Amino acid sequence: MNGITKVFSRQNAALYTTLVLVFLLMTVLNGEKFFGVGNLFSMAYQLPVIGLLSVGMMVAMLTGGINLSIIANTNLNGIIIYMVLGAVVGAENIQNAGIAPVALAILAGFLASCIVGFINGFLISYFDIPAILVTLGTMTLVNGLNIVLTKGYTITGFPSTLNFLGAGSVLGIPASIILFVAAVLVISVILNRTRFGFSLYMMGANPVAAEYSSVDIQKTTIMQYVLSACFASLTSLVMIGQFNSVKSSYAASYLLVAVLASFLGGVDPNGGFGKVGGVVAAAVVLQFISSGLNLLRMDPFMITAMWGGIIILIIFARAIAGRLKSRMQSTR
Amino acid sequence: MNFIDAKQVVKNFGGVQALKGVDFTVETGEIMGLIGENGCGKSTLMKIISGVYQPDSGTLEIAGKRIEQNNPFEAIRLGVSVIYQDLSLFPNLTVIENICLGPIIGDDSFFSRQGRYRDKALAILRDLGVDINPEDLLEDLPIAKQQLVAIARALANDSKLLILDEPTTALTRREIVQLFGLLGDLKQRGLSFIFISHKLGEIVEICDRLTIMRDGLVVGIERVADLTIDKIESTMLGRSLEFRKKTTSYASGEPVLQVENLSKKNHFRDVSFSLRAGEILGISGLLGSGRTELASALFGIGPADSGRITIRGQAAAIRRVGDSIRRGVAYVPEDRLTQGLVLNHSIENNIAVATLDKYLNPLRLLDFRKMKSEVGRWIESLRIKTDDGRKAANTLSGGNQQKIVIAKWLAMNPSVLILDGPTVGIDVGAKSAIYETIEQNARDGMAVIIISDEIPELLANCDRILVMGGGRVTGEVAAAEASEEKLQEMMERLPVSQRR
Amino acid sequence: MHITKLLRRREIVLVALIVILSVATHALNPNFLSLENITDLLKSFTVLGIFSLGVVMVIVSGGFDVSFTAIAQVVQYAVVALFIHTGGGNIYFAVAVAIVFGTLLGLANGAIIHYYRMPAIIVTIATQSLYYGIMYVITQGQLIYDIPGFFWEFADARVGNFTGAHGGSFGLSLPTFLWFILGVILFFFLSYTKLGRSVYASGGNRISAERIGFNLARTTLFVYGAMGAIAAFASIVHVSLVQAVIPNSIVGSEMQVIAAVVLGGASVTGGRGTVLGTFLGVLVFAILSNSLTLLKISSYYYDVFTGLIILVSITANAIQVKRQKSQRIRVQIDEEHEAAKVGAAY
Repeated sequence: MNGITKVFSRQNAALYTTLVLVFLLMTVLNGEKFFGVGNLFSMAYQLPVIGLLSVGMMVAMLTGGINLSIIANTNLNGIIIYMVLGAVVGAENIQNAGIAPVALAILAGFLASCIVGFINGFLISYFDIPAILVTLGTMTLVNGLNIVLTKGYTITGFPSTLNFLGAGSVLGIPASIILFVAAVLVISVILNRTRFGFSLYMMGANPVAAEYSSVDIQKTTIMQYVLSACFASLTSLVMIGQFNSVKSSYAASYLLVAVLASFLGGVDPNGGFGKVGGVVAAAVVLQFISSGLNLLRMDPFMITAMWGGIIILIIFARAIAGRLKSRMQSTR
Repeated sequence: MNFIDAKQVVKNFGGVQALKGVDFTVETGEIMGLIGENGCGKSTLMKIISGVYQPDSGTLEIAGKRIEQNNPFEAIRLGVSVIYQDLSLFPNLTVIENICLGPIIGDDSFFSRQGRYRDKALAILRDLGVDINPEDLLEDLPIAKQQLVAIARALANDSKLLILDEPTTALTRREIVQLFGLLGDLKQRGLSFIFISHKLGEIVEICDRLTIMRDGLVVGIERVADLTIDKIESTMLGRSLEFRKKTTSYASGEPVLQVENLSKKNHFRDVSFSLRAGEILGISGLLGSGRTELASALFGIGPADSGRITIRGQAAAIRRVGDSIRRGVAYVPEDRLTQGLVLNHSIENNIAVATLDKYLNPLRLLDFRKMKSEVGRWIESLRIKTDDGRKAANTLSGGNQQKIVIAKWLAMNPSVLILDGPTVGIDVGAKSAIYETIEQNARDGMAVIIISDEIPELLANCDRILVMGGGRVTGEVAAAEASEEKLQEMMERLPVSQRR
Repeated sequence: MHITKLLRRREIVLVALIVILSVATHALNPNFLSLENITDLLKSFTVLGIFSLGVVMVIVSGGFDVSFTAIAQVVQYAVVALFIHTGGGNIYFAVAVAIVFGTLLGLANGAIIHYYRMPAIIVTIATQSLYYGIMYVITQGQLIYDIPGFFWEFADARVGNFTGAHGGSFGLSLPTFLWFILGVILFFFLSYTKLGRSVYASGGNRISAERIGFNLARTTLFVYGAMGAIAAFASIVHVSLVQAVIPNSIVGSEMQVIAAVVLGGASVTGGRGTVLGTFLGVLVFAILSNSLTLLKISSYYYDVFTGLIILVSITANAIQVKRQKSQRIRVQIDEEHEAAKVGAAY
């Protein structure tokens, strides 16, 4: 692509190097345990949650926005699924619900998530309100709804058909990773090969010029946030299977992780540039770190601290690299 | 006596020589005009005078003092103030603070004592003859008054030289007349000005002398009294552009675009005209006449409140950009850098963005090979100078950037093409290439509207010229019967309500 | 003042909202407007109120901070552990130590944001994880119950003591009083000091602030350092009120604080926001939560209402801004038609 995307793909090259280095580091630290079937599987099961949320966040960040409501929306999706199942087959039969009611419930959850996404996009584009404010509002509102609907309890017991996506496997490959890969492929095509994706990048770099070039800002923004919400919905399906439960406060700490992965993956915080590949790679790095340290019986909060530390290190490293580069240019 | 005396100033950026040994002077009590195309080095020169950049070689004297180590604060101390195009004021602070912020920061008190500065601010404002409540927040003032606050701020810093960067861009004609009156008064009191503008008429009106720059060099310093607009232009561009009145019209058939009684509150009123295929219509008028607002409404950016638009015989409700594009109306906007281009995206993307539907394959996915070849054709036919369409649009010169914008719309094959200030700030080669492109497309049946300040440009390219003022169409004249003088007179006649 | 200008002020709208909420609640439960209830209510929102003072300053300067809760949590743990370990000490000493520590953590944010030109939200997300994670690793998340007695005394101290109609004694608690004092200080600081005005100036137009000679490094460092100090002070108030150190009791509330500040009229694009508006924003949330309790509506609904209030207020504000923009005169329309006719004569 052009000069700027080149810079970012060079950044991605740095990211892929980091990926390899982290992988090697974890291998050295953990020895063969890191390659153990157990660890590979646990990584494969966990990665989709981080990955799907990160990609959903990235979609919002492509226009310099942010989607703070993505986790609340994820939980809403699961809760709606449970409620609809309960309403259709009765609360006591939920675990044995058939395919039809499950499909209906998934659809209902999906619709609920999309409505939240629609509200985000609508308020952002029709009233020119900063995304951070709108999604702060919807985050609080949806979180409130989640608490009201569940009365703050953890709801457990989902039908095994539904749990398959999060916990099942096909030919030994976890279903969730298949779902993740498929979702990544689809989003790559949407962002890189469709009219909407093209418009989104242009709008992210300069919304005024995009509007003057026939990009429908309102429609594109609404589609953008609905798309971001779709990833909340997918994440929810994976999480249901992994936990066999839903709760209003699940995955709260992942909100920041998703922002970090997008930033780490080379999404320009001012909008207009960023590739799915970079974000996925960043999510994998974060997963390696988390799993590797986990194997070392490291405190989970150590991992949180590491994530924060890595961002700071990357900020320093990018600055130093930039300075070195300009020094080399000036001596030339 | 020279207030500013710069000799043989050289400034390099990387490998690019922005100033190649420039001599520049401003006398005490004069208004020095500065003109040149984008990238000619005038903004670099101004940044050296105001202390933002250091020259690589050459000397600079301010008020008779040789300046060794200039910086923005030193320059302000010596009496050099810049009034930026964006005014550089604080919308959320009071008028007093905006005027006296320099002294307020400068004093050694921990507190910001606004009361202390109120009298000073008020005295300066009164001196300028403006009626502004100094306690008001700046954002509550209209733009013309904000500009006066910016001038007041410069005076509060005891400035001896004000650098005005395109000061009239956002002003109506009446406000410009008032501003010029004020500059004249201040000049009498011994203040000096550098007046940067690309509007030749205004330069001739207000400046005493004019410095013309091209390619990092000063190519002319003349007393304005000895200059004509033609001479300025030919000096600035390096060769003169022959404007010959358009003689052949390609207008034919029924009207493509008909506008009846189009009105928008606070923008324009009761505008009617029609346009046939192959016809080139000029719209002229001073800033604040409503011409750009009219074009935006036709394109759906700021839709009209009432009136009727008919395109190819069908009533067209244009509420948003999509509505106009669907009906074949394209618009090359006034501000290339923010409205015309997504600067940091590629040339290819910028050309393709308005015609994405053309590149969709049966699966509704973008076919990049097709896009590349189509875009390549446009790069070639408009002679956009680049070795790689994947480079960012901001790597090109102004003229080539404007060609990208035009290519974007020609790719859509519009039936009506509106161009707003299509050749502002671009070099002469690109200019004539653009005129050629316009004429070619008119010959092929495209209806064209050109909005411009430059009367010769309109006379050379249009079949008919509408003059706007005060939001209305105040006159219409066939190019064959028009002359420069006549159009100038029509344009500058103040609307009744603005006469004094 | 002109009536529309008056209505434009967020404070007026918030006061109206507070009056309506209060009257409605009071009509249904007369306990609401009793002094006992009000002082209790203010006490329970003191921590959020103190946080909000730091946040409004950061937001006015054009910045953003989500790490202040982590700073508070870290400082709280460290200070309480320190005083338990050394024995002795008093509340003044504790506050002083906390403020020093909090300021340092905040300065780190400011330094990275300013010198590395990074978006504040990214930096503070990172430092939030870093600070909080390290604390948790070191402390293993253990709760501390036996906090030094001077914290208790601090929380129970009152400014003014009254006997209520039902015989119970009540008064404005000292922490609440300090919150108000801090608010007044901040108001005067932001309005009448050079550094305070530079906070507004850098949020209003950063480039101009730089051109005119403001020291932006100093402003940025000050703002984030002060945010750290204020968060640290809030953490001491928090531990005094809760009377235990619970390592996950503060982190997670940052969005609620930001919501209150935004409701109070601060603009996330910088330059706009007032201490009074922020106080009223906190008050709306306080009254809302109390109303729900008094009206026996499940507290589950609290977030729903909070979210709705945020969305409605930002939307109303945006509509107002949009209308102002569209009302702006672009072209002075020539009202008399004569000119057009004269022109047509050519």
